[in-house]
Amino acid sequence: MKNFIIIGNSAAGIAAIEAIRKIDTVSKITVISDEEYPAYCRCLISYYLAGQTKEKDIFYRTESFYRAHNVELLLNKKVARVDPKKGRVVLRDRNQRSFDGLLIATGATPKIPEAVKGIKKTGVFGLRTLQDAKAIAELLPVTKAAFVLGGGLVGLKTAYALRKKRIDVKVVVKSKQILSQILDYDGASFVQRRLQENGIDILLGQDITEIIGEGEIRAVKLDSGKAYDCSMVIVGKGVSPNIDLIKDTEIKVNEGIVADSSLQTSVPSIYAAGDVCESLDLTRGAHAVNALWPVAVEQGKIAGTNMAGGNLRYDGSLGMNSLEFFGLPTISLGIYRPEAGEKFEELKKSDPGAQVYKKLLLKDNHLVGAVLVGDIKSSGAYLRLIRERIDCSSIKDMLLQEDFGYPHIVDFVKEKENVYV
Amino acid sequence: MKNLYYEVDKCVACKSCEVACSIAHSATGDLFKVIREEVLSLPRKKIHASKNKNYPVSCRHCQEPLCVDACMAKALEYNEEKGLVLHDESRCVGCWMCVMVCPYTAIRPNIKTKIPVRCDKCSDKDQPQCVKACPTHAILWQEEAVTKR
Repeated sequence: MKNFIIIGNSAAGIAAIEAIRKIDTVSKITVISDEEYPAYCRCLISYYLAGQTKEKDIFYRTESFYRAHNVELLLNKKVARVDPKKGRVVLRDRNQRSFDGLLIATGATPKIPEAVKGIKKTGVFGLRTLQDAKAIAELLPVTKAAFVLGGGLVGLKTAYALRKKRIDVKVVVKSKQILSQILDYDGASFVQRRLQENGIDILLGQDITEIIGEGEIRAVKLDSGKAYDCSMVIVGKGVSPNIDLIKDTEIKVNEGIVADSSLQTSVPSIYAAGDVCESLDLTRGAHAVNALWPVAVEQGKIAGTNMAGGNLRYDGSLGMNSLEFFGLPTISLGIYRPEAGEKFEELKKSDPGAQVYKKLLLKDNHLVGAVLVGDIKSSGAYLRLIRERIDCSSIKDMLLQEDFGYPHIVDFVKEKENVYV
Repeated sequence: MKNLYYEVDKCVACKSCEVACSIAHSATGDLFKVIREEVLSLPRKKIHASKNKNYPVSCRHCQEPLCVDACMAKALEYNEEKGLVLHDESRCVGCWMCVMVCPYTAIRPNIKTKIPVRCDKCSDKDQPQCVKACPTHAILWQEEAVTKR
């Protein structure tokens, strides 16, 4: 019988519990979370804010799940530090717990631009936790105008939610396009137009310099010199992995906690998964943090299995995002734009009338990325071509076909069972 | 547990299966009323042509379903007993993550209803209606696969 500790109670942590219990039903599992709720669907908090998801439907697992899996769940507890040498974690309340296997799945925290004057004022929020969403929701009845910093997924999902609540929303984006971390310029402009048509103001190439107000926020000032009235500011400037607890230990950290192909960290029996984990990125072949729900679930499953004595290999992650604003579905897979010095073959189809835009990037006849706006049906086939590194030479002219799908790749992929006989 | 299998050489892409599927999942269940329904019932099966062959494509209810792992709303669940990926539409927010990851391009987005449509093996009926509708017997409903290709 072993003692497993999982720090973090979201996608990766839950997947790890399920994976451990598939192999090992007797060992002790303790989950430590600094939040006050059982696991909830983090990606749904903007839908909760918009009023589209009710609180009762936001939970990912209920309390009975922990009972059924024989898990001790410690809520509202923060791990201050991990002591790999002694094999124990020290909580902020000074309690200690020893482990035989540890999974660090602590997630990430919104980055706060410290240089902005007044950024610490009440009325400035990140949107990461259900608690954040509740705090924002409480203020909505007295909020007329809000400013969102950052044109990434979290920023825009929040803007969308606030708009649904009939709040006047402006989004300030430092770069020349929205969603610059997941879409190319052309793809992003389709999404941008859709947002603008539905009443969300987007200010590109600008940044906020000051949040004005005594006590309550009254306005924000931009680097253009203009000031706008508002009483709420939401920060969506990306997240940074929660790695404070392993500071000054021998666990290797880069941007996130570096994990190998079994998702073990540089210290045996300590694993990392989810938004805190830096692992191999399949498309570029280098280590990266892909802070995404499906990635976290897969990593949690593999880390949990390996902790419990299994032997699963993690092939690596890749960026994959799906979003939908006002009826325009959009998906981004892998590489969406070349970086300096990179060259890709580009296949493109753009039909502004039909609101469809597709761009595929290939390298040496292998698909490495896709941007799909308006028509996302073929996404799963593209993802497979990327993941399984399939040579696309013979199907290149079909890739952009409207009905491109599984039948077009059936001869190239290996299946456990065949459905077509 | 029965599954759907396809003899692609027999499929002539008549789309009878698509029509039968739409009707089976409509509110009225009647061909002549179905087209007047407010929310059009989309077929959960689609015929795709590739290299002169026709492939009926629909959810295969994978035993290790990537869509379930990707679902950020916990609207999907794999039920081992029934061999079905169950979709709780009341929890679904239409984020299209399942569409994004499906290795068989078998889940289709219904943009209007913001709900993906997928095969449920007509679990409320005696057998999938596509099987009944197929005039060439290209769709098989059987326990075990003939895995030779």
